[in-house]
Amino acid sequence: MKVMLAMKPAAKWFIPIEAESIVPKNFLSGTDLLVWRGNRELRLDEVFSVSVEGDADRSEEVEVVLSGDTFRLKRVGEYMDGGTITVLGGIGMHCGNFMSGGTIEIHGNADGWLGREMAGGAIVCRGDAADYCASGYRGGRKGMTGGTVEVFGRAGDFLAESLAGGTVIVHGDAGDMPGAEMRGGTLVVNGNCSRPAANMKGGSCYVYGTAQRMIPTFRKIGTVQHEGRALIRFSGDLANRGKGNLFVKGYEYLD
Amino acid sequence: MIVKDAVCPFCGCLCDDIEVEVEEGRVVAVTNACELGTTKFMGEKRMKNPILRDGDRWKDITYDEAVRYAADMLLEAERPLMYGWSGTHGEAQCVGVHMAELIRGVIDNTSSVCHGPSILAIQEVGHPGCTLGVVKNRADLVIYWGSNPIDAHPRHLSRYTRYAEGFFLENAFRDRKVIVVDVRKTETANIADEFVQIKPGGDYAVLSALRAIVQGKTDTIPRTVAGVTREQLVRVANLCLNAKFGAVYFGLGLTMTRGKYKNIRNAIELVSELSRHTKFTISAMRGHYNVYGSNEVNTWMTGYPFGIDFSRGIAFYNPGETTAVDILARKECDAALIVGSDPAAHFPRKCLEHLAEIPVVQLDPYPNATTAFCNVQIPVAVTGIDAEGTAYRMDGVPIRTRKVISSDYPSDEEILARMYALMQEARER
Ligand code: SF4
Repeated sequence: MKVMLAMKPAAKWFIPIEAESIVPKNFLSGTDLLVWRGNRELRLDEVFSVSVEGDADRSEEVEVVLSGDTFRLKRVGEYMDGGTITVLGGIGMHCGNFMSGGTIEIHGNADGWLGREMAGGAIVCRGDAADYCASGYRGGRKGMTGGTVEVFGRAGDFLAESLAGGTVIVHGDAGDMPGAEMRGGTLVVNGNCSRPAANMKGGSCYVYGTAQRMIPTFRKIGTVQHEGRALIRFSGDLANRGKGNLFVKGYEYLD
Repeated sequence: MIVKDAVCPFCGCLCDDIEVEVEEGRVVAVTNACELGTTKFMGEKRMKNPILRDGDRWKDITYDEAVRYAADMLLEAERPLMYGWSGTHGEAQCVGVHMAELIRGVIDNTSSVCHGPSILAIQEVGHPGCTLGVVKNRADLVIYWGSNPIDAHPRHLSRYTRYAEGFFLENAFRDRKVIVVDVRKTETANIADEFVQIKPGGDYAVLSALRAIVQGKTDTIPRTVAGVTREQLVRVANLCLNAKFGAVYFGLGLTMTRGKYKNIRNAIELVSELSRHTKFTISAMRGHYNVYGSNEVNTWMTGYPFGIDFSRGIAFYNPGETTAVDILARKECDAALIVGSDPAAHFPRKCLEHLAEIPVVQLDPYPNATTAFCNVQIPVAVTGIDAEGTAYRMDGVPIRTRKVISSDYPSDEEILARMYALMQEARER
């Protein structure tokens, strides 16, 4: 089953729309769903032109395709457990929150908190991801616990904060403090970033570019070969009695 | 007439030993307050009555008309923002929260642009704090980190630290050491026993290094960290370890610089580390006299201290998304009520652009930068001068501010209660 949701232009286009009802499973019982624009509850078809092709018995057989100006659409795919969501443009905050299965593919950029506290499944973002991609929630001890997030552009600050499991891969640069407080899982930044793995307890963080403003409390172990690259291996964060692994191609301190 | 033990409604010290001399309903002299406090008591020229924007002129309107305008504006909005609250009393803040819930709006206070990061850090690792009295009487080491009390909290030094007597200190002035950590040599740095100058954006690295040194892992620390030599770091760590009771006071130099709440978290974790060896506490130098109160009121009423979004009928909290600066910069609201603060004086331009596009009502005694963005401004009494109510000192101690003169101005609470009553009526219909 293919569900096509094309965003209609709205007068108050700047008010964000919360649409946690947009998960593949919900379309098994029709398109009679509700979303919120600010404090107003609206029917799905007041916000989108909805069209459905074919039918399905299981979430896995549902593909939802979002088009139009979706960059202010929040919480799409929240608690998703199977099926596919394809976003042709950009997507708003909290896309794929708590998802445990299925795939979300975003062709444009993703706003903050992409895949927050995700437990399983896969998110692919072809553009850039804003701050707190694959992170946890305020005050939480564990962020993402499983699944994969792959960003082809760059990522903002606090990427994979409190990462506890799963894999996060960024092909471009990342901002400040990727992998802060991480305790498990794997984080890979292909480009440069600043202050990776601050206060880490466990897990592995790879930086194939330069780690700028490197945190001074990591112990240098030596050089290792990793997938054809020579990387410098550190262990830390000592300040936090951490036993995590940080691998970097190059690094510079703020000395 | 002399009013004794008046409370200064200016900074988070909330000094409660002020003497105010009143003649013919005007404040003529102030004793004990610092310059900032004195200026506030003496007052500036207030706005006389509510005003409504009429093209490019202002039109005088009645309080009833102004209250009605605000209530209608908020009831119509799909995502109203109610911001400010640090410059008013707790009773008014309570009405604000009730209103936000009723109209399903976002309520945020000025902590989102000052110590919000401190609160985020506290939510991650807790707050080993204490009252100012404990520091005054016990602390033999005080660290001001990214804060400059001589400028911002002038009597903090004389009432509680550098120049204060201490019950458990024989000779407080001699026995109490003061360390100042900052990116530039501030006036407070001049009166410190030790000044640590950090390169901008380097606080986090220095805090991490200190934590490792306290754990005895000095060997891994590079020779200099953000401009600070390893020798000085070791000396500072030893000063901390040798103190019987240490207190860290941090300001916007730590909360609003690179890394923000992670800086505070790191500082709290340093304090926890030190508390394995001696007694250490840490507290925020809160700016506005009742910004702490707005966090308290919001927390006991909604579970969250600032940035609370009631759009969906339940409280949702996510600073960075539900905070005023972010909402305005992203144009995510369609009306704003400003109470007890002046966002136009502090917010980035992008935010002000949106403020200029949406209807805005402000409650404030004085014309200020935000007035230029208002459709309606309602002058109110000043808490601590011609209105009374509860405020929370920077250490969380509630103090009831007093009325030192009488005026015809209604208080924030009265105006908000009238708006709220109109809204309840409208919603019942
Ligand atoms: S230190 Fe603060 S509270 Fe005390 S008098 Fe000065 S401005 Fe007022």
